[in-house]
Amino acid sequence: MGDIFDGYETDGFFDEAVGSDGMLRDHYRRLAERLSAFDPEELQRREQLRDSIFRTQGITFTVYGDDSGVERTFPLDLIPRIISASEWGQISAGLTQRVTALNWFLEDLYAGERAAINDGIVPRWLVVSADGYRRQAFGIPAPHGARCLVAGIDLVRDGDGTYRVLEDNLRNPSGVSYVLENRAAMTRVLPVVFAEHHVRPVDHYGQSLLRALREVAPASAGEEPQVVVLTPGVYNSAYFEHAFLARQMGVELVEGRDLVVDEHVVYMRTTRGLKRVDVIYRRIDDDFLDPVVFSPDSILGVPGLVNAARAGNVTVANAFGNGVADDKAVYAYVPELIRYYLGEDPILPNVTTYVLWDDDQRAEVLDRLDELVVKPVAGSGGYGMLIGPAATADELATFRKQIQEDPRGYIAQEVVELSRHPTLIGDRLEGRHVDLRPFVITGETVEVIPGGLTRVALRKGSLVVNSSQGGGSKDTWVLEDERI
Amino acid sequence: MLARLAENLFWAGRYAERAEDTARLVDVTYHTLLESTEADESIAWRQVLEVLHLTGPFETSGAPLERAEVIRFLLVDGTNPGSVVSSVQRARENLRSVRELVSSELWEAANQLHLELRARDVSADLQQPYELCGVVKRGGQTITGVAAETMPRDDGWRFLSLGRMLERAEMTCRLLDVRFDAIVDQPSALGFHAWIAILKSVSAAEAFRRTYRSSMDPEHVLEFLLLAPQFPRSVLFCLQAAESYLQQVEAADRQGRARRQLGQVRSTVEFAHAGELLAAGLHGFLEDLLDGIARVSDAVADEFFRHTPAGGLHIVAAN
Amino acid sequence: MRFDIRYRTAFTYDDPVVESSNELRAAPASDARQHVLHYDVRTTPSSRLVSYVDYWGTRVDAFGVRLPHSSLEVIAEASVETRPTNVIAASPTFEDMASPAFRDRHLEFLERSAHVDWGPDITAAAEDKRGEHGDDVIGTVLALHRLVANRCTYTPGATYVGVEVDDVFAEQQGVCQDFAHLLVALCRSIGVPARYVSGYFFAYDESGADPAEDELEVQTHAWAEVAIPGGGWLGLDPTNRQEVGVRHIKIGHGRDYDDVAPLRGVYTGPSEHELDVTVQMRRSAQEQQQQ
Repeated sequence: MGDIFDGYETDGFFDEAVGSDGMLRDHYRRLAERLSAFDPEELQRREQLRDSIFRTQGITFTVYGDDSGVERTFPLDLIPRIISASEWGQISAGLTQRVTALNWFLEDLYAGERAAINDGIVPRWLVVSADGYRRQAFGIPAPHGARCLVAGIDLVRDGDGTYRVLEDNLRNPSGVSYVLENRAAMTRVLPVVFAEHHVRPVDHYGQSLLRALREVAPASAGEEPQVVVLTPGVYNSAYFEHAFLARQMGVELVEGRDLVVDEHVVYMRTTRGLKRVDVIYRRIDDDFLDPVVFSPDSILGVPGLVNAARAGNVTVANAFGNGVADDKAVYAYVPELIRYYLGEDPILPNVTTYVLWDDDQRAEVLDRLDELVVKPVAGSGGYGMLIGPAATADELATFRKQIQEDPRGYIAQEVVELSRHPTLIGDRLEGRHVDLRPFVITGETVEVIPGGLTRVALRKGSLVVNSSQGGGSKDTWVLEDERI
Repeated sequence: MLARLAENLFWAGRYAERAEDTARLVDVTYHTLLESTEADESIAWRQVLEVLHLTGPFETSGAPLERAEVIRFLLVDGTNPGSVVSSVQRARENLRSVRELVSSELWEAANQLHLELRARDVSADLQQPYELCGVVKRGGQTITGVAAETMPRDDGWRFLSLGRMLERAEMTCRLLDVRFDAIVDQPSALGFHAWIAILKSVSAAEAFRRTYRSSMDPEHVLEFLLLAPQFPRSVLFCLQAAESYLQQVEAADRQGRARRQLGQVRSTVEFAHAGELLAAGLHGFLEDLLDGIARVSDAVADEFFRHTPAGGLHIVAAN
Repeated sequence: MRFDIRYRTAFTYDDPVVESSNELRAAPASDARQHVLHYDVRTTPSSRLVSYVDYWGTRVDAFGVRLPHSSLEVIAEASVETRPTNVIAASPTFEDMASPAFRDRHLEFLERSAHVDWGPDITAAAEDKRGEHGDDVIGTVLALHRLVANRCTYTPGATYVGVEVDDVFAEQQGVCQDFAHLLVALCRSIGVPARYVSGYFFAYDESGADPAEDELEVQTHAWAEVAIPGGGWLGLDPTNRQEVGVRHIKIGHGRDYDDVAPLRGVYTGPSEHELDVTVQMRRSAQEQQQQ
């Protein structure tokens, strides 16, 4: 019986499990030991068990444009990512700090004195020209200033193993349902291995979310605030997650047409008449939420919702207009915002970022375009990016032109060689690139859910972790203490 | 519960039942006509279209009034909103919208039937619809059975069942309406065959025989299909079941319009006498009954679903 | 000058509609030039108002009627006192105009917006005027104002909300909103911050003289304001070929019409609506004498 890590190569990348000396990191030793005890048939059997669990639990996403009703599962790699207790302490503190500052910034911007702008921390023009800036959101209260009630912060590890923030997702971050479902599956597929590791639980997510949602209920709500999840509907690609979260919290899953506003109070339409709603966890984008103040032709939303929130009769979470703070150009200023609002040094650094409206930085970037990554500021999900080292001369020329025409529209970043993690390919382990999206809930206080969604690029050498492009996921184990 | 979901479940129940019962109707019509003349057949198929309120759509389709065409129209024509495939499709769509409330097995049963019908080569079925009708009947029964075995007895279940019971009451009335008068006039040998076919089409032949032994009196058949309090496809049974579901979904302190109307319709049936109905002519009675059930359905929609207003969203802008 | 204004919008529907939800922007602004003595909104059927000041500083009255109704009437009544506009003493140059701090403060009024999205013809015309006036910002702006006032003919019904400024410029006709958008576009095209203003105007009679009576039925009006470095905002009314004065009562401003539309909303129902908007203005002689 060989060691499952025999022949495993780190290829010079930072590897989560194996140090630069070729030795297993301490917190991966027990996992390696246990996995090595499985023969290939055993591993295969466990993979089959995993597949059947996912199928019977219906954890699937519908493939767009396919009417057959057939759905697929999101591939879960059997090898968990393990984060030591001390490492997680650092990450968790950094996330808390960052999300706290971002909430301060949004509150300052939409309900405060706009101090960060007036004091020159963030350029005014940058804010007012941001895509996610919503003038309609001015003056709408957010109890406890919890504007990003749920934040998903994308972290990557660079070649030195330093965790860096790649992107803040402050509008409708998704993926947490996979975190919970992955965990549920892993505890059945590798029950003994899991039990031996003293992994911090994640299955209280629904309760934590519900607690935060109740904490931000308006004063009018009383003791038992009525909370609902608002979804665009069954044809939305994240519908599974919306339904999942409603079920986890034990609250109603509603569509816009299920809600109606009367005298600036929101109600849901039930078979026994109208029933008051106090808090809406919405998973519909700003522009479609209320045709009276946002896009007038939207039928997904609820007419009058924004002014009901303004009147303090309902809380909508996440708040309107959060997109201004996860704009990639504003992202570049988050470390400064942390210093400004909290008087602390950022615990988690950004990826080194260049803002292209600055003449000097732009000149440098255009000079080194083939070494850098260029992203449109308002995009997400990896669309419209330039990866310099992999780009053709034509692509470089196109981006050069676009940057010169619209320097506000892009930022540039140093390439981050995402860390790699042992991943089961066939019956052996190979290194694959991973990132991490932890979820941070803010109500009266900030709570970081241990771990998060580790996404893995299953294709050899690929840096693309998106599920639509050959990405898979891993269960993420945050260890309770240093016993392992 | 949310009005929209209740409405989806109500219509899922109705459409699943409609698909099944339309197949039963086609099946029985086909069988009772096997030894008829072409002219009789044509009249009979016209009657089927009439009781289903599909005469207009069929004429619009431009197809000749022939057996294979009518069968195609009623079973597999996706452009006919009243066809079996359309009903299955709608039942499936309604269930899809409430997947969170129903078991995955229930969704799969509806999806399965939908996919099976879509994949089927129907050319043979149009000449001999027995097998296809069997597939639809079994599919419908599977949906009903899975629902009964997997759904908690909450308002969701009640709206699904309410829809199914109202639809079934309607379709049993239609079944009686389309063939009864014609068969009553037939010589007894042919008539016997036809009665058996009708009873079989509602899976009632055995139950009928146990109740009435060897008799095949039209009055008994009518009494059984209309009034038998224990037979789950009789009109009275369906109306009584519907009434009980309706009572349970109402708020405790009130009796709504829907239940009042349903009670009135139910009592008309309850106190009817099969012999008198036959003597007076069945058609008018059934017409009234169908109208009454339609009013109940409208009242249910008004009372429980119409919190979602009719009409589109309009934008106003004044200078 | 003191004015009493009565703004009324009435919707009538063929069949009852439900769940109407709206925002009204009809309240006169309070600023250095005008003082609001009284403002009041009521609706029939009655409804509860939520009133707030929006991002641009305009008072908004939000209201809705959920239950079925066949008509909806909104009446806003205001009393307001206006003062003459201060003369701008500054004589800034285009260099002042280009200062980063000035541009940063006015960024939203320099960029294109949905109704102010101009093409090269407008830019060329504005560049021309600028060429004629050298470095004189105010001279250039006034020339652009005259350009719109002289070039365009007031033609009700010739355009619609949403018409492109390029078309207004080419067709040379339109209504007050179109001229305001056009003037705003001309200014922005050469880097001069300009904003769209919604308001009321106590009109002259057809001969251009002061009307004999003190009570008029008018329409809501629109004009433009231009940012002058060191001089605040200069109000220009191209429709009436004049600078903004005591007869102009401002409601609010924004990047274009969409930011200050007097009424926007939605309802649900089977039918289309008919709309009747009237504005009555009464000039108070007493107050006039006091001034």
